Amino acid sequence: MAGLAAAFGSGAMTNSVPEFEDADCILITGSNTTSSHPLIASRIMTAKAKGAKIIVIDPRRTHMAALADIHVKQNLGSDVAWINGLMHIILKEGWHNQSFIDERTEGFEELKKVIENYTPEKVEEITGIPKETLREIAEIYAKSEKSSIVYCMGITQHITGTDNVKSLANLAMLTGQIGRPSTGVNPLRGQNNVQGSTDMAAIPNKYPGYQDVTSDEVREKFEKAWGGPLSPNVGLTVVEMINAIEEGKLKGLYILGENPMISDPDSTHVEKALDDIEFLVVQDIFLTETARKADVVLPGSSFAEKDGTYTGTDRRLQKIRKAIEPLGDAKEDWEILCLVGKAMGSKGFDFASPSEVFDELAELTPIYHGIDYDRIEHEIIHWPCRDKDDPGSPYLHKDGFARGKGLFTAIEYKPPAELPDDEYPHQLTTGRLPFHYHTGTMTRVSPSLTHEVNEAFIELHPEDAKSLGVRNGEKVRVSSRRGSIEVKVMLTPGIKKGVAFIPFHFVEAAANRLTNAAALDPIAKIPEYKVCAIKIEKLDGREA
Amino acid sequence: MENLKKNIKDMLESGEIAGFLGLIEEEGHPIPFLFTKDSLDKLDALTVPDIRYPMTDILLKIVRKYPEDTIGVMVRGCDDRALIELAKNQKILSDLIRPIGVACTKEMAEYCRCSQPYPREIHYGEKVEGVKDRSDLEKVESMDLSDRLDYWMGQFSKCIKCYGCRNICSMCFCDQCTLEDDTLILTGQAPPEIPIFHLIRAFHMAGRCIDCGLCEEACPAHIPLRSLYRKVREDMADYLGYVTGMDETERDPLEFLGSDGYEVPTKIDET
Amino acid sequence: MEYQTVRTTCTYCGTGCGVLLEVLDGEVIGTLPQKDHPINEGKLCIKGWNAHEFIYADGRLTKPLIRKGDKLEEASWDEALQYVAKRFLELKEKYGPDSLGCFSSAKCTNEENYLLQKIFRAVIGTNNVDHCARL
Repeated sequence: MAGLAAAFGSGAMTNSVPEFEDADCILITGSNTTSSHPLIASRIMTAKAKGAKIIVIDPRRTHMAALADIHVKQNLGSDVAWINGLMHIILKEGWHNQSFIDERTEGFEELKKVIENYTPEKVEEITGIPKETLREIAEIYAKSEKSSIVYCMGITQHITGTDNVKSLANLAMLTGQIGRPSTGVNPLRGQNNVQGSTDMAAIPNKYPGYQDVTSDEVREKFEKAWGGPLSPNVGLTVVEMINAIEEGKLKGLYILGENPMISDPDSTHVEKALDDIEFLVVQDIFLTETARKADVVLPGSSFAEKDGTYTGTDRRLQKIRKAIEPLGDAKEDWEILCLVGKAMGSKGFDFASPSEVFDELAELTPIYHGIDYDRIEHEIIHWPCRDKDDPGSPYLHKDGFARGKGLFTAIEYKPPAELPDDEYPHQLTTGRLPFHYHTGTMTRVSPSLTHEVNEAFIELHPEDAKSLGVRNGEKVRVSSRRGSIEVKVMLTPGIKKGVAFIPFHFVEAAANRLTNAAALDPIAKIPEYKVCAIKIEKLDGREA
Repeated sequence: MENLKKNIKDMLESGEIAGFLGLIEEEGHPIPFLFTKDSLDKLDALTVPDIRYPMTDILLKIVRKYPEDTIGVMVRGCDDRALIELAKNQKILSDLIRPIGVACTKEMAEYCRCSQPYPREIHYGEKVEGVKDRSDLEKVESMDLSDRLDYWMGQFSKCIKCYGCRNICSMCFCDQCTLEDDTLILTGQAPPEIPIFHLIRAFHMAGRCIDCGLCEEACPAHIPLRSLYRKVREDMADYLGYVTGMDETERDPLEFLGSDGYEVPTKIDET
Repeated sequence: MEYQTVRTTCTYCGTGCGVLLEVLDGEVIGTLPQKDHPINEGKLCIKGWNAHEFIYADGRLTKPLIRKGDKLEEASWDEALQYVAKRFLELKEKYGPDSLGCFSSAKCTNEENYLLQKIFRAVIGTNNVDHCARL
């Protein structure tokens, strides 16, 4: 997000989902697309059938990796190095797009100086990617007519997450693989409305539509619209709020449809904070681990019980429609929030329907300004859509970047915050399964999905298992400096030696008891979920 | 179309049928809908679109809840073949179903490569001849055996185990599905065990598949599933002289394999 | 006898596939892929095909709950809403607006996210608004 916004001026997917089908090369990193975004993987498979080259860079041989033309396993957290390495080769071979660089970008000279040092030999040493393969990838990506980059949490959930994203943006600009159909840099959004919730300013530094809370002009506009004074100070992020509770600075918290007890890193720390806070309100559809800590629980509604809009990963506005009434005395979430606003004595919550809420937010949000419920009944609209005649924007940065010139950032490789040592000799990475979703609140009560998998496991390389003396199916204890869980072993030759993987959907063996919350990307404030050091201990040798 | 609407309206008003399963157009999108006496006004939106939903699959869901009622349903050639098989398999009673037949257009028949793009009785549309096209099978048959194995293994390796092929299938009406039997197929793996998952399904399509092609349309991995089942269907015709979806009185020669199949020993004794 | 399908958007990942919820006599009984949706074109993943399964799961909350000692007890909407408003306004008064915050939701709609951040920004007066997107 922050990385792409810095480079291009907009933090969203640059291109739309159907465009993948017409790409000539798709470079996928940190995304197990067939698991987490199956219907995007479907487009990628179509592209491959039409002749596109699919390249996957991932420490695990995921299903997507198995379907690719080229798959290489990089060392965990070495992404800046291999991306700089690709750019080094591209520049040396003259495969870069000089006219694009000259006309559309700035900061190229500084970038050039840094990538000069990332020789294929040095990059192989840092990343473990053979230099011949790196060259092959560089050539395919740079020389294809339309190359598209796809990434997900495997890139962003690192202390260098913002650096990783900026590096991918550098690569796209160096080769001019952006601003045209089927190219670009495309972060796939994990949850149904991550894009929309960010657009709607569920972030501490912006008003809806990425308007700065620190801008006097913007603030005045919102003060006028909302009828009262607003804070000029940037607020706290999720992780900072948890820390502020422990410091005694945050006294009251309202959690809407999230389960930070499972989803946040270092759950032990989160649990203590939620126990300590003075007043906690949770609005959800289940009594989640988080809701059990609340002082007040407000029963909301599932997607089947309310109207509203989601913004898909490619900035596409879509409706959800009410199929049934909320269960029991539960209410539609938009209605609950209006009632809370009114109970606090505010006059700004007098809405009769989600459509009326949308009209207000569209009025105040330039990138949504031209959108309304009637239009999205009949049209597929990707924001920005600035007025009623604007058809919207399937792909961004056609003639110029949102920020004017695209900005190259020269970035040096930095190792992950926590490296393996004698005490914690293995590395852990986390992710999703195709059969479950996020913290499992919805999928783990779905019989067809629990039939497939209903317990956590740790994927280990057979050679690692051999040296630990553990067999497939055996239960082991996995510990990090923060906590410890017990899970069964699943042997997987496809994972890099020394690396283990645990899916994060399972509360009874929550991978995030192990992950490293203290290590945050300094800009995006994203924790380093994707790398931490662990030890694996044999228990009594019994099968799980 | 006006005749069709009137016909349905009359059947509903007279009480001949309790409901009519068809499609309505909503904001330009055709979606399945059950018309009843209380929703006659919706008939204005009745549509015969050029996309298909699994009508008989939906019908079964309604019939299971209302086994005594007579229900009308819009059927194309493929849906009608499905009705014949559902009746044979005692999932519906033909007496309680009023099929309203729609003949597919030439374009649709070609798009679907449909050999019989019309139902037994046509109430709407003009009958066009079927498309005889087995180029998909010819392509596979032209490969030598090891290439053929590689081809199918490559196709199956794309499977994301969505079960869409089964879920959309008019002929997948079993209470328990072998694909979910964890003694046969490991659970929790995508792709599912290769090639067992797909071969089990293909075998189960023998004497069942009515060649509608909805499975292939629903496959996110673009696996040419229909070719696989067409081959099975052809083999049933070539070796056992049996074609599904043609005649309600004809019995599936593989029926004896099921625990509740028809009584083979008795018939043998009689002859 | 009432059966209809409701066009909506899958609630799982950010791809945003079009689905039809099948509603029989007021109960959601199934999910179908929307055949003419520009993103999924009549296809779904296993989560999408089963998107309806959690709707009636045991443990769905149907009444507001208020903590009384160690226990969460059922309460009326009026009681719950008044209590929430009163406590937040008291804390604001005592410790200032920045002593309060909210986690909005990447699972909820645009409208809901807009409303929650509006409560915290316009009524409470803090920018302590975030969600778990980065997680």
